[in-house]
Amino acid sequence: MIQNFISMNGYGFFVWLSFAITFLACGMLYYKTYKTLKKYEKDFAKELDQLSEAERKLVLEKSKVASQFLASYNKSI
Amino acid sequence: MFDLINPSRIFNWIEKLINFINSIFFILLIIALTFALVLSPPDYLQGDSVRIMYVHVPSAWIGLASFTAIALLSIISFIFKIKNLNLITKSIAPIGLLFTCLAIITGSLWGQPTWGTWWAWDARITSMLVLSIFYILFILAHKLIDNKDRANKVANLIAIIGLINIPVIRYSVDWWNTLHQPSSIKLDGTSSIHPSMLLPLMLMLLVLLLYCALILLMKYKTEIIRIKKKNIKRI
Amino acid sequence: MLTKKVKKRVSFLSLLLISLVIAVFFILKSLTSNILYFKSPTDIQLSQDIIFNKKIRVGGMVKKNSIKINAQEIKFVITDLKNEIFVSYSGTVPNLFSEGKGVVAEGKLKDKNFFIADRILAKHDEKYMPPELKDLMKKNVK
Repeated sequence: MIQNFISMNGYGFFVWLSFAITFLACGMLYYKTYKTLKKYEKDFAKELDQLSEAERKLVLEKSKVASQFLASYNKSI
Repeated sequence: MFDLINPSRIFNWIEKLINFINSIFFILLIIALTFALVLSPPDYLQGDSVRIMYVHVPSAWIGLASFTAIALLSIISFIFKIKNLNLITKSIAPIGLLFTCLAIITGSLWGQPTWGTWWAWDARITSMLVLSIFYILFILAHKLIDNKDRANKVANLIAIIGLINIPVIRYSVDWWNTLHQPSSIKLDGTSSIHPSMLLPLMLMLLVLLLYCALILLMKYKTEIIRIKKKNIKRI
Repeated sequence: MLTKKVKKRVSFLSLLLISLVIAVFFILKSLTSNILYFKSPTDIQLSQDIIFNKKIRVGGMVKKNSIKINAQEIKFVITDLKNEIFVSYSGTVPNLFSEGKGVVAEGKLKDKNFFIADRILAKHDEKYMPPELKDLMKKNVK
């Protein structure tokens, strides 16, 4: 039965290869996207960190995105 | 009116959506794969090679739908000059290109055992290849043109011109003799696919759509952070 | 909200799209004979200027009870229900090649009724169903 499942009555090569290519390609795009996102998050956090106390306060007050970002970023570490 | 697509508002629920999709994704993936590879019956003619359809058809649909979305958003963005929409179209493009290529590759893997050839220059297959070229041009326009406004304008025009290709792909199998079979699922909702095979097809479509949403959200978040980072001194 | 600039862009885009649709329509129309992946037996009967030494593709349905296999070659009839064409071929055929199903043959015409193929492709239809259902349908027909 398992033999049959793998060979797919002779079509195994084509079926398994197309599923494998699909999931491999999707996985690679996910990995690339995830890595780029993390890199930008890290850089952004670093840059916020380098600002002086007064500057950071001003940025966080004016930009909702920056404050939300910092809140979620600190949680995820 | 356009406040809904304001980045600072969106940013908050992007995070929640990503977490939600991550929590249900793998369960759905396993269910869909079980149906596609184990529980669904083989076809009366094609045998088990019909299972390739469960990745091929959703990929082709997503490839077409992504480009339609990009083109429509490009039209709005071109007319009203909304910069945010360009962030979205830029985030959709790689997903669309990936799935268009997957549709071509899996189609070729299906064609070899069923038709007896890997490739045929018939209208459907060639027009899909043209679609992938439009995706590449769109992405290249963003990558190669340094001036952001110019890049957006050129990319938008490429997407709008490429929109003509979409109905050509859709109706190629009806207008001309092609090796590719006509559509099994018509626009009016009738289908010539047996329900036991339609179920895994729809499940795989759902899983791949969730995957697309995940990538889109992550890419969009990256774009927002990139812009905020560049303007950090000015916020 | 509709400023002058917006109106200008709308008219530019509609003009662009309309002219593109017209251009693409005429290009595709003039290329029809190249876009067609195969000719039907009727197309071949009707055409005036057949080039006998050029490779072409003929497609249609394999006529029921027409396949004859001997040691050297496979002979069958391609039909589009109006006209027919005899095909002779030597080589392997795809799994899905069978009577009553779609087929595309690649090769050269000997005359309007006889075709020598050097490649056979199976053309699939848009119906998908499990084998048990097909058996059931056959029984019902009988």
